[in-house]
Amino acid sequence: MASHGVPRVSGTATSDKSVAAKEKEQRQIAEYKGLEKDVIDRIKGKDFSNDTFQATSRLLQQNPEYHTIWNHRRILLQDVFRRELASGNSAVITTQADEAHNGDVQAASKAGLTLAQQEISLLLSEDLAFLIPLLKQYPKCYWIWNHRAWLLAKATELLPVRTASQMWRGELALVSKMLVLDSRNFHAWSYRRSTVEQIELLEGKSLAEDEFAYTTKMVNTNLSNFSAWHNRGQLLPRLLHERQATDEERKTTFDAELELITRALYTDPYDQSLWFYHQYLTSTLVISSSSDANGDARRTNILAAPISHVTSIAYLEQEIASIEDMLDGAEDCKYIYQALLEYSQRLQELADGSTDIVEPSKMASWLDEVRKLDPLREGRWLDLAVSLKL
Amino acid sequence: MSLAAGPGRGRKAESKDLELVVDKHVAYVQALDTRRGELEYHLTEHLRISGIYWGLVALHLLGQPDALPRDGLIEYVLSCWCENGGFGAAPGHDAHILYTTSAVQILAMTDGFAELEAKNANRKRKIADFVAGLQQTDGTFAGDEWGERDTRFMACAFITLSLLGYMPAQRPNDNPVVNVDAAVSHIRACQNFDGAFGLTPGAESHSGQVFACLAALSIAGALDSTLPTSAKDRLGAWLSERQQPSGGLNGRPEKLVDVCYSWWVMSSMSMIGRLHWIDREKLVRFVLECQDPDEGGIADRPGDMVDVFHLCFGVAGLSLVRYEGLVEVDAAYCMPKHILDGVLGR
Ligand SMILES: [Zn+2]
Repeated sequence: MASHGVPRVSGTATSDKSVAAKEKEQRQIAEYKGLEKDVIDRIKGKDFSNDTFQATSRLLQQNPEYHTIWNHRRILLQDVFRRELASGNSAVITTQADEAHNGDVQAASKAGLTLAQQEISLLLSEDLAFLIPLLKQYPKCYWIWNHRAWLLAKATELLPVRTASQMWRGELALVSKMLVLDSRNFHAWSYRRSTVEQIELLEGKSLAEDEFAYTTKMVNTNLSNFSAWHNRGQLLPRLLHERQATDEERKTTFDAELELITRALYTDPYDQSLWFYHQYLTSTLVISSSSDANGDARRTNILAAPISHVTSIAYLEQEIASIEDMLDGAEDCKYIYQALLEYSQRLQELADGSTDIVEPSKMASWLDEVRKLDPLREGRWLDLAVSLKL
Repeated sequence: MSLAAGPGRGRKAESKDLELVVDKHVAYVQALDTRRGELEYHLTEHLRISGIYWGLVALHLLGQPDALPRDGLIEYVLSCWCENGGFGAAPGHDAHILYTTSAVQILAMTDGFAELEAKNANRKRKIADFVAGLQQTDGTFAGDEWGERDTRFMACAFITLSLLGYMPAQRPNDNPVVNVDAAVSHIRACQNFDGAFGLTPGAESHSGQVFACLAALSIAGALDSTLPTSAKDRLGAWLSERQQPSGGLNGRPEKLVDVCYSWWVMSSMSMIGRLHWIDREKLVRFVLECQDPDEGGIADRPGDMVDVFHLCFGVAGLSLVRYEGLVEVDAAYCMPKHILDGVLGR
């Protein structure tokens, strides 16, 4: 088992390096090992000072993959939190505060924080800021995201709701920035979902509408973004549930989504991510036709449950006709034939063999085209021919 | 063992037929620990025990299991043991489930469990307790005491526990150390409409997660009950679409091909009996074009620096499609199948 992405330097092999380059590398190694030893010795000696903390910063800047050092950093932070909370700086308003701290007390109490919380909030903000340049340099480093999540969890645990939710809101803004730089960053999307979840818990309200609008913005910027389509599909049933949408409103929304993705597909039928979203929408037809009308189904469905067979069949027929039209000018697009085959198969299952809804000769010709266009997956098409009895 | 990339790049050998340069790869793994003069050797210490696992799997599958000294390997692994029962990546590093799994996999491949128990009795049990202690109430596993969760860790947990003989099914008369049912239902919740699995319920499908979920399900004996034929077809379709015209496979739609993702995808297809849904010859050609034919090692893509991580998964991928002369690999464990047959008594 491995985390993916062994660091890859662009330099040349050792044997090709000049004497000067080799000497420089030896110096770098000595410095790095020295810094590492310093941090480890200090932690062993329970030196939880600011100097130790700064040393972990320098080491992690050189090597953010070093997870043990992140653990050390958290031990140091926890120690400060513990000391702050034990220091008695727990009063929000202290009438007899000494002069020097008067300003602090007033600022803190204004924000609804105790002095200890004020300190903790400052430390958390500083550490979150420390991570930003690292994240920009190593956007896929698991341990950096992991440390951020820990800091924010501490905010939730130790700070008043308002302050914590401000921090999480800042995090959401950061994730949005990261997604502008790389709109498919897997960590960023999953981190976004958990960030939204935390804000929702803290603020006691749903962000589904905002997040749905965000996916609209993302797919409008770049249609070929499966991550955004995926998130959109996840939000849709929840959104409708929260809107307490009527059956008619649900149908309007479903039709609008189908139209949106169909228009996109007409523009670029070669785009896999669009097909996946189309598949997602049609998959909800089958799911809802087979589940009952309880509250649970309403939360996972787009159309009002239960969907009748008649409705499902009508939608599938409509989509098959529309996808057939896409072939015009895109006869070499294998995804079109795959979709036609898939939806026809589903249609036949729904119709339960009553009549041949899609002519077998048509299906056979689609399968022939797929096999011609997609020899890589020949084994799959042979299996499909068997299961379709073609 | 160094995880430093290079020295060479993956490329096609000139005026030679494409073939696996077995001896070069063996020599590559053997030379890794002599690269202490490189900064990257030291910067990758946090992965060292996994690096040994990757190198050792490659050697085993290449038919040279003794190319690294057994005593040295076991001694190193035991020096990574932590008091809490887990293993760190290197001596002095904190324990984590990723490195604990690598350590136990190395001990299984070197037949080193006796040496482990000789250090002090009940170490197997302590490791099992460390792993079991990471399970959360929702069935997921944390990576360490700091608590981050990941479906990958579930696969790690089941791989480790089964190799140690502590999966509940292996000890029907004892109290189960982990809740397998909770883990399985969590995996089911991570499945998407496309048949594939995400990192958490609601997260986008990702082939690394598919591998982790299928490996866990298969070790838990819950693969067929979770995935009926229609679900296997759906997942198999998604996985097979990962193969690109170059023959290599990617991890998600519209991403670049990569030797390691080729392994996650192929091993997943193998676990659901759909490996014949991709083009074997093209895949073999792709992996062979990623090797450095002169100095050994395999890169993620042709032209990139080679490393031991991609060497392991490149060779494992070739073994999975029965490339001639390679020892057979097990899809769920990424270890030689004959070793698992012995350790698991199957
Ligand atoms: Zn890779």
